[in-house]
Amino acid sequence: MRKFILIISMAVFMVAGGLYFGVSKVYVSTWGFNLDLLDKNISKPFLEKYGIEIVRELGNNSTRLTKLEMQKNDPKIDVVHFADYYAALAKKKGLLQPIDVSKLKNYKDIYDFAKDPIGAHYGIGYTVFSFGIVYRTDKIKEPITSWKDFWREDLAGRISLPDITTTQGPAFMMLINRIWGGSEDDTSLDVAFKKLAEIKDNVVTFYKRSSELINLFKMGEVWAAPVARFAWGRLLATGLPLKWVVPKEGMIGFLNTVSIVKDAKNLENAYKYIDFILSEEVQYAEAMDLVDSPINKNVKVPEEIAEKLTYGEDHIKTLIFFDPNVIVEHRDEWIKKWNEMIIGK
Amino acid sequence: MGEVARVYGKKYVLLLLPTLVFLGVFFLVPLLIVVIDSICGSGREGILFNYFVFFKDHVSRTAYLRSIRIGLWVTGFSVIISYPTALAIASINNRTLKTVFMTLMVLPLMTNPVARTFAWLAVLGRYGLLNNLLLSAKIIEEPVRMLYTEGAVLIGLLQLFMPMMILSISSALENIPEDLSLAARSLGASGFQTFMRVTFPLSVEGLIIGGTLVFTGSITAYVTPAILGGSRVLMLSTLLYQKAAVVLDWDMATTIAVMMFLTTLLINTGLRSISKVGKR
Repeated sequence: MRKFILIISMAVFMVAGGLYFGVSKVYVSTWGFNLDLLDKNISKPFLEKYGIEIVRELGNNSTRLTKLEMQKNDPKIDVVHFADYYAALAKKKGLLQPIDVSKLKNYKDIYDFAKDPIGAHYGIGYTVFSFGIVYRTDKIKEPITSWKDFWREDLAGRISLPDITTTQGPAFMMLINRIWGGSEDDTSLDVAFKKLAEIKDNVVTFYKRSSELINLFKMGEVWAAPVARFAWGRLLATGLPLKWVVPKEGMIGFLNTVSIVKDAKNLENAYKYIDFILSEEVQYAEAMDLVDSPINKNVKVPEEIAEKLTYGEDHIKTLIFFDPNVIVEHRDEWIKKWNEMIIGK
Repeated sequence: MGEVARVYGKKYVLLLLPTLVFLGVFFLVPLLIVVIDSICGSGREGILFNYFVFFKDHVSRTAYLRSIRIGLWVTGFSVIISYPTALAIASINNRTLKTVFMTLMVLPLMTNPVARTFAWLAVLGRYGLLNNLLLSAKIIEEPVRMLYTEGAVLIGLLQLFMPMMILSISSALENIPEDLSLAARSLGASGFQTFMRVTFPLSVEGLIIGGTLVFTGSITAYVTPAILGGSRVLMLSTLLYQKAAVVLDWDMATTIAVMMFLTTLLINTGLRSISKVGKR
């Protein structure tokens, strides 16, 4: 009797094990937002089409980067989603492998700026967001048209700007440096720091999260600020009379990227996954649910959806992209200068 | 004391064991590692190099001095406000009333610090309670910016830590036998004299404990300076967060942590030595 039970249980165990290892998987490291929608738009159709299960590991950029670093010799992750800055950082730390783009049939359909944002094909942009200006039309009479308008006297004490430690902070400083006369390859950003020091007392606070900024608008503390497009929907939801401005110097473009981890164990599945999320149908579904703005040029969305996304020829063509590798190289030095600017000499 | 000491004798070591193990594993060993790391640096530079950098750097020096200044202000203000309150509570004879007051005093300690700090945003905001009050009382003509200033941090910390001061002083006052002040009065001392020569000296211990708790809390608090002070009011704790979580400069982060620890230790020792002055 005892032997019988033993054998039966062993058999059950083996079958279960076989089932478990039979399903092909791809391990994806990404953010913990909109998981139900990711499931609906990506995981389910992907499983149906290829029979591959997507297993997600969640967290913010820096914790997931730290994890990848710890698993360097035995990676548990195949594909990683990062903000472009963190992708460049991961590349520098030798955690990624170049992508053979000839294996991706949807690659040709994406915008050129998304094709190789961090160099040597270590990452592909799969979604884009713009960084423009939002202001209160009831409080500010003279329309804002330029990044230089933050230096206007009538806006003093009513503006918020991104902190240097945010994802958008360094690129914002690079833009400021350029529009106030710094040369394109100037990485000291001295012009930007000098100009910002002039108005630092006019800044209510330098925000560290988009949710913090939305609060500042809601409380009436702030009337104008540079805003990332993904926060625009939530800002509109406050019911305040707000306007999105495309400054005449252009908007900053940011990409979220997808990369393959060095020594990834499920390489074929990783390629299938990346090709899948670049496809028109997935990009369309994600856009319609306002999860991510599409970088696949074939995606067409209706007007009311487009308004809340980074979408459309006119919007896209104003984007200025800054090399994340340059930011990786200089960020610590800029944070030091930033602290000195805030404290004052 | 006698009873307990007689029963347990030298077994006190055994009784201490759980605490010792817990503190050893989760506090003393990590602390030692942090201290050694900060002193030795990452090997490239000489011993104490990190501290040299800390004091040489204009930014960290300013943040340090600001933290100490705000810590001292918070401690000072909380003594001024808490002492009369504690004295009043101690002199209430009605038990129920006393419990009600004590509960009211500790109530702030029971609310979540994040929620509490966000409530301050609503009070101190440009269209918040305080500005509206001042506006309607015609004390100011247009809203004043109160958020994201040192003052906002000061107020937030004061509310956060004052209950600890009240509790420490109260328990010190409660422990003074009533006979002492009665004796002083019957020997001809005035009320004021009784307070100055009997009650106050006996409550100094409570002030020291309270002062240490409030000061330590103030210079190490992170949420309140981060939300009410924002990025413009750089303090030691917000700088520590930046070094540890953004720049990943662990050398400097550990150095700042040790500086915080040493400062609170120093203040505690200082307060204790003050209390010894005048003791006969």
